Amino acid sequence: MPMLDIKNLTLEIDNGTSRVKALDRVNLTIKSGEIRALVGESGSGKSLIVAAISGALPDQFYLTADRMDWNGESLLSMSSEQRREIMRRDIAVVFQNPISALDPSATLGEQLEESIPAELVEGKWFWQRRKSRRKAAISTVHKVGIKHHRNYLNAYPHQIPTDIGQKFMIAMALISQPKLLIVDDPTRGMETTTKTQVLKLLTRLNQTRSLSILFISHDLLAISSMAHTMTVLYCGQSVESGRMKMLRKRPLHPYTKALLDSAPSFRHDLPPKSILPNMDGTIPSLKHVPIGCRLGPRCPRAQKDCVITPAVRRIHDHTYSCHFPLHMEKL
Amino acid sequence: MIRILLRYIILFVLTLLVLAGLSFSLAYLFPGDVLANLTGITAQNEMQRAALAQQFHLDSGYIVQFYHYLKNLLTGNWGYSFISGMPLSEEVRLALPATIELATYAMLLAIVIGIPVGCYAGLRSYTAADYTINSASMIGYSFPVFWLALLFILMFSLEWNIAPLSGRISLLFEVPPKTGFILIDILFADNINRLLAFRDALHHLMLPTLAISVISIASMVRITRRSVIEVKNKPFVAAARTRGLSQGQIFYRHILRNALLPILPLMAIQITTLITNAMIVETLFSWPGIGNWLIQAIYQRDYPALRIGMLAVAFMVVTLTILIDLFNRVIDPSREKYERVAV
Ligand SMILES: Nc1ncnc2c1ncn2[C@@H]1O[C@H](COP(=O)(O)OP(=O)(O)OP(=O)(O)O)[C@@H](O)[C@H]1O
Ligand code: SF4
Ligand SMILES: [Mg+2]
Repeated sequence: MPMLDIKNLTLEIDNGTSRVKALDRVNLTIKSGEIRALVGESGSGKSLIVAAISGALPDQFYLTADRMDWNGESLLSMSSEQRREIMRRDIAVVFQNPISALDPSATLGEQLEESIPAELVEGKWFWQRRKSRRKAAISTVHKVGIKHHRNYLNAYPHQIPTDIGQKFMIAMALISQPKLLIVDDPTRGMETTTKTQVLKLLTRLNQTRSLSILFISHDLLAISSMAHTMTVLYCGQSVESGRMKMLRKRPLHPYTKALLDSAPSFRHDLPPKSILPNMDGTIPSLKHVPIGCRLGPRCPRAQKDCVITPAVRRIHDHTYSCHFPLHMEKL
Repeated sequence: MIRILLRYIILFVLTLLVLAGLSFSLAYLFPGDVLANLTGITAQNEMQRAALAQQFHLDSGYIVQFYHYLKNLLTGNWGYSFISGMPLSEEVRLALPATIELATYAMLLAIVIGIPVGCYAGLRSYTAADYTINSASMIGYSFPVFWLALLFILMFSLEWNIAPLSGRISLLFEVPPKTGFILIDILFADNINRLLAFRDALHHLMLPTLAISVISIASMVRITRRSVIEVKNKPFVAAARTRGLSQGQIFYRHILRNALLPILPLMAIQITTLITNAMIVETLFSWPGIGNWLIQAIYQRDYPALRIGMLAVAFMVVTLTILIDLFNRVIDPSREKYERVAV
């Protein structure tokens, strides 16, 4: 049984006059101990999925799902107290924009220490507990690669550089020793050495502590080196999902292929100085989503049938939603 | 920090200079003869006139006059009231604290009642409780203060007779003015029953304080509510929630402080309104404060008193505003304390 199991997650946004489906029947599963990558262009709804899982949606968002289970228990029907308990202990989230996810009026140390679950704090008296908290905070901060904890634990969020903020958010997520870590674009804008450091840390945690990770990134190279499975999202629809190796070798959905082809390092047969194949156009805005397969207007393989939303099809553990998939002849 | 302080001090001094200049020019703007306005004496002949002019430095240029005016202001030689013949510095020293006292209690009430109620409404935003509080504060905010004061007098003093009509304390108690704050002065006073005097003073304070504070409470509720709602929807509050913090932890550790920070500068703006309201209410309750005193000065065409009284009020407002702004700058960590000091 998957740890996190989401089926047909639909998220509607009320923009005053009408409701638009920002997420349209998205499927996502995460097994225990796996690193799942979630990829898609900017604006395809990755951060919305994170917000939906963590329950951080604003009021004017309407969420429905056939299934949204955590270890077999439905996240949607449980009491808010139970949900809070799961967020407190089992799931940790690193949001995309670290600085806005930090309280500007409290020091980093305070915010890190308050995220430590009470049962992980040792000691009986408050001074022992305070010392234990501080110790945990310092060791976690070191673990994510922040060396000078003294400079940063007493700093306010606006005083720190962005990459420290990003690492700090990871520290804050790890300090509760979660089972699932959701990281939304954790390495954006980082320089290569820092990025490698963070990615190594995530991989190591996955291997040693069998931490499951939902890894959201635009960095296909990093994804292919560390993720076991991948879900491709386009304009709020999950278009293809399966094992990383399979997707790379034989993508079935035209969008997956275009996405993978857009990363030059993935192509072995690419002649030097050739023009990169890419899809025409851009991702449609939420006001003008096409009916049927949302890729339709941009898809080179589109035909008349594509105005009907393709159903999810499955070959072993590889799922896709397309009327005219690629590479079928080889299967 | 030193640099900020220096900037504030320079700003403060400059503002005071401008105020002093304005109050100085009032002597020339008042209708009638400048000399008569300033001295209160209508010169009978040219010799007396020349002598008076010389005494008040009216024979020299404006700059020299202003210099002497400033010197007198700084040395505490503020002139004499036409009416009582008392030194104006003494009169202001007695009247100003009475107004400050009234405004302070009203502000305290506004903080003690307004902030918790505003927080409650903000946390329960867009529910029945919130709408009720919001409408009530809207009504409270729209009352004209003098009308409210008259209504209170009519109801509590004349109809039900549970509060005295005017004054600060019953004439039976003789309280020598030391600090100017009646409640504190009572503690220092000898030869009276302090408990009785205290209760009597509170009785007198009740209506004017209430009349002023209704508006202050209402606006405090509205400001707090707005601020809490704004902070509540910030991403860091959502992020704190996803870390599994309880409602209480989120409110006390993250919402409250961030919501109160923007309230402080708004409170500074409120102070002007508050003091104006206090001065209006004073005249209705014959409260011996600066507002009442100024009104008397206007009736009597006591120009030196008017000039000094206005300067004193302006001084008080400017000082408070700058102090609150400075305080706010010191406690708000999200402002670049050491870099950005745009005043
Ligand atoms: N609060 C909101 N109100 C209205 N629309 C929103 C809101 N938040 C996101 N959206 C819309 O939802 C869509 C998906 O946004 P989302 O932030 O999930 O994209 P993303 O995949 O995370 O992109 P990126 O890679 O740039 O982070 C976008 O079209 C965006 O305009
Ligand atoms: S369903 Fe049609 S439009 Fe959509 S990806 Fe497949 S071929 Fe392209
Ligand atoms: Mg995003």
